[in-house]
Amino acid sequence: MKQNFLLQLHPLTKFYFSLFILVAVLIVPGYIFSFAVFPILVLIAILAGVTKEFLSIVLKALLSVLVIVFIMQMFFYPGDEVLWKAGIFSITQEGLDYGLLLTSRILAIGAVFILFFRMTEVRDFVKSLEDKGLPPMGAYVVLSTLQIIPEMRRQANTIMEAQKTRGVETEGSLFVRAKAFIPTLTPLILSSIASTEERAITLESRAFSAPVKKTSLHQLTKNSADRILPIVYVVILVGLLVWRFFL
Amino acid sequence: MTIMIDLKNVSYRYPVSDDFVLKNISFSIEKGKFSAIVGNNGSGKTTLCNTIRGFVPHFYKGDLDGEVIIDQTKMADYQLGQLGEKVGYVFQNPFIQVSGVKDNVFEEVAYGLENLGVPVEEIKIRVEEVLKLVKIEHLRDKNPFELSGGQRQRVALASIIVMDPEILVIDEPTSQLDPIGTEQIFDIIRLMKERGKTIILVEHKMDLIAEYADDLLVMHEGELVMQGPVREVFADPEFEKYQIQYPHVTEIALQLQKLGTALSFIPIRDEELAKALNRTGVAIHD
Ligand SMILES: Nc1ncnc2c1ncn2[C@@H]1O[C@H](COP(=O)(O)OP(=O)(O)O)[C@@H](O)[C@H]1O
Ligand SMILES: [Mg+2]
Repeated sequence: MKQNFLLQLHPLTKFYFSLFILVAVLIVPGYIFSFAVFPILVLIAILAGVTKEFLSIVLKALLSVLVIVFIMQMFFYPGDEVLWKAGIFSITQEGLDYGLLLTSRILAIGAVFILFFRMTEVRDFVKSLEDKGLPPMGAYVVLSTLQIIPEMRRQANTIMEAQKTRGVETEGSLFVRAKAFIPTLTPLILSSIASTEERAITLESRAFSAPVKKTSLHQLTKNSADRILPIVYVVILVGLLVWRFFL
Repeated sequence: MTIMIDLKNVSYRYPVSDDFVLKNISFSIEKGKFSAIVGNNGSGKTTLCNTIRGFVPHFYKGDLDGEVIIDQTKMADYQLGQLGEKVGYVFQNPFIQVSGVKDNVFEEVAYGLENLGVPVEEIKIRVEEVLKLVKIEHLRDKNPFELSGGQRQRVALASIIVMDPEILVIDEPTSQLDPIGTEQIFDIIRLMKERGKTIILVEHKMDLIAEYADDLLVMHEGELVMQGPVREVFADPEFEKYQIQYPHVTEIALQLQKLGTALSFIPIRDEELAKALNRTGVAIHD
């Protein structure tokens, strides 16, 4: 998997790409360009070998938002050119256009960031930010949160199992599961509060605040693509700006 | 001899506690000595360790009286960050001693060295060496969160000794280990002593203390009630008062003594029993 050229790019190169798409989509008027971005992202996902995860998250996270935003705009955006009318509801051309514009932009921007996180390990991304000057404490908070979520999930499962052996219903409808889950929250939250103090001491015992510059086993490398691509992004953006505002 | 750890009339009370947890404690430990702290639960052993490491008062606030001097420098003059390299501290609870940012044991052990700014090449060499020493090479790719208590205790110990501190404070490192694992830990501690480290160990296994430690500090309800060479402390009749375990052989010998058997001295190691009973010849031919 790691052999893949796209995956091997430096995290910031990928992150800049997401920013590039974000800005480009906002510069270029109309929805056609923004909608056209999506197939390009799918193509990148295919090349990077992350198509399945990418599409499934786009579906889960974006589809409902898109549909709701689209319907809201279509019906409620003010406009004169009525296309269709039933009672108090009416669809206007302006509403339709605006709905499409908004959804196309949400789709493009949402999808490019989903793609970014499919193609980049958060660990690598945080490291790249640290190299750029993110303080170690900030990096620690992000990384430890990521590590601790699965740990907390494990703990929650253990508690749920314990509930089950005591005869508490833990399976079935959402309501039943919620009723079983909520009592587990108190011990979970209490134990994680207690462990912040312990964690601070643990870090200290590992010389976290030693007054020296830290080193890292984990090094990120840049290849020539990582040097060229950001320049390409900037050139295209400048081109788009010139085209949009001066031509 | 240089004094590495020097406490003068130290008393300490946690912010929330009503009573002093450490009461007027004074002792000094020479460089290269291996001292064991014993005492019943709640007698203040862990708090004493926290004080030597500087977590009291740098981290735990509360009232601290008296003076703590580590390697000729007053605790108050150290910054918390400077002590990491000087005093290595392995906690009692192995489950909290995971950095939480590393996903395998190798990186976990390397974490302290990264924080100390050690060059990457050197980190790799030192971590390899320590993994071998602590016998956890087979765990190198495992997630630290997925280890058993005993495995975590070893990883915690490895994570500290890799930083090569001059003073090692180790709080009940074998509570989760079986007898073989415990012996191995004591072997490592002995090796650290051979390398000239000053060692403070909190432990309940008296047989091993009798075998390895130089000095014994006895804590009782926040007071340091006895201190001295291990042999002298165990032989002192006062020791019995504190309801702390003896080494097995000492226990037996003292029983025999009560029953009227004459002992030439109080044995603290198994192999000394015969000699204490003046039966050397018999025992050795076994
Ligand atoms: N963080 C703390 N805050 C308040 N009281 C504490 C804290 N840690 C320990 N104590 C109290 O200090 C006393 C000594 O505890 P400790 O040093 O852990 O003893 P030991 O390690 O010998 O079992 C106990 O009464 C304990 O309840
Ligand atoms: Mg303790």
